[in-house]
Amino acid sequence: MNPPPGGTSAAAPFSRLLEMLRPDLLRFAFWLARDRSVAEDVVQETLIRAWKSRDELKDPAAARPWLFTIIRREHARLYERKRLPTVDVEEVEALGDPALASDGDAGLTDLRRAIMQLPDEYREPLVMQVLGGFTTAEISAELKLTQPAVLTRLFRARNRLRVIYGLTPAEDVE
Amino acid sequence: MSGALEHRDVRLAVGADPGHLSPEIEAHLAACAECRRFRDETLALDGRLRAALELPLPEFRRRTPPVRRYALAASVLLALVVAGGTWLFQPQSALAGEVVAHVEEEADSWSSRHQMPPDSIAGVLDGADVDFDARLPIVYAAPCKFRGKRIAHLVVQTSHGPLTVMILPHVTVTKREKFSEDGLNGILLPAGKGSVAVLARGDKVDAADADTMVSAVRWAK
Repeated sequence: MNPPPGGTSAAAPFSRLLEMLRPDLLRFAFWLARDRSVAEDVVQETLIRAWKSRDELKDPAAARPWLFTIIRREHARLYERKRLPTVDVEEVEALGDPALASDGDAGLTDLRRAIMQLPDEYREPLVMQVLGGFTTAEISAELKLTQPAVLTRLFRARNRLRVIYGLTPAEDVE
Repeated sequence: MSGALEHRDVRLAVGADPGHLSPEIEAHLAACAECRRFRDETLALDGRLRAALELPLPEFRRRTPPVRRYALAASVLLALVVAGGTWLFQPQSALAGEVVAHVEEEADSWSSRHQMPPDSIAGVLDGADVDFDARLPIVYAAPCKFRGKRIAHLVVQTSHGPLTVMILPHVTVTKREKFSEDGLNGILLPAGKGSVAVLARGDKVDAADADTMVSAVRWAK
């Protein structure tokens, strides 16, 4: 079911697809940027770019990774264009963001804060995998890393979070 | 398979991608209680991880989005609204939308009337690492891919009509969520380490039926 070419009636299926996926786009952008305003800007730019390029999406089932890829690129572009300072792990303002709080589940709040403090190179593949549904091969292609490097980063990301979850971390890998 | 290096290899594989393990890793897990415990812990962590990443959107959206000056942005947003999307202003569940889209793609599933052979059902459930109470009349069972993982998509006959049941071991929901879209009514329910989506056509899903479906699910260890 490919999105039909332009026009209002043709736009409806694509619009619906974006509608469906928008919450996760916002989440993904937020976890990448660790800043709510930046995330909202990134998603808005992503929707514009996706709308203009909608004919490139041949298979709606591939919309999710396609849009996540655009999010990643728009996020990088925004930093280049606006010369935004990179956010230091110790100074992540979003650590106080109410979206991280979970009513009655302090463990979930702690886990969110721990994810937020993961270094970019660990957090990004982890979010792509768990939230985006990317395979390790797809992450490898997207991040231009070897697959063993992706596996190591994912392992280390989870290993750090094991401690927050009250588990013993595994022995690190080379 | 034994030895410190091999244990480490197994834990690297499990820690990197606990949902997709090779037969060699599975074989090691079958024989190694310590690594199996590590795998179980990692799967539990992943359930929490998914819940953590799925931030509560209503909270996230409470803040007013920045005003944009680009005419293109305005035209795109207008086009989306014209096309039927008032979504920018309405909190909703992405998961519910994806479930509805999936069920709509398998519209034929609703028309099944005859109980499936036990072997066929078992094949679908085994592939999705779940079990389901065989006493319920399952008239449709298909292995489907949902959010990158293989899941069991069932249709169960009830006294209120057919119900679609999607068993989602890799998707965590924190509370019951009702949804209604395109003539489909449904409920997302937390269930063990994952969740279950129960949908009906036209009528709302009977709460007792939904509970029956959830209690029929058994997760693989």
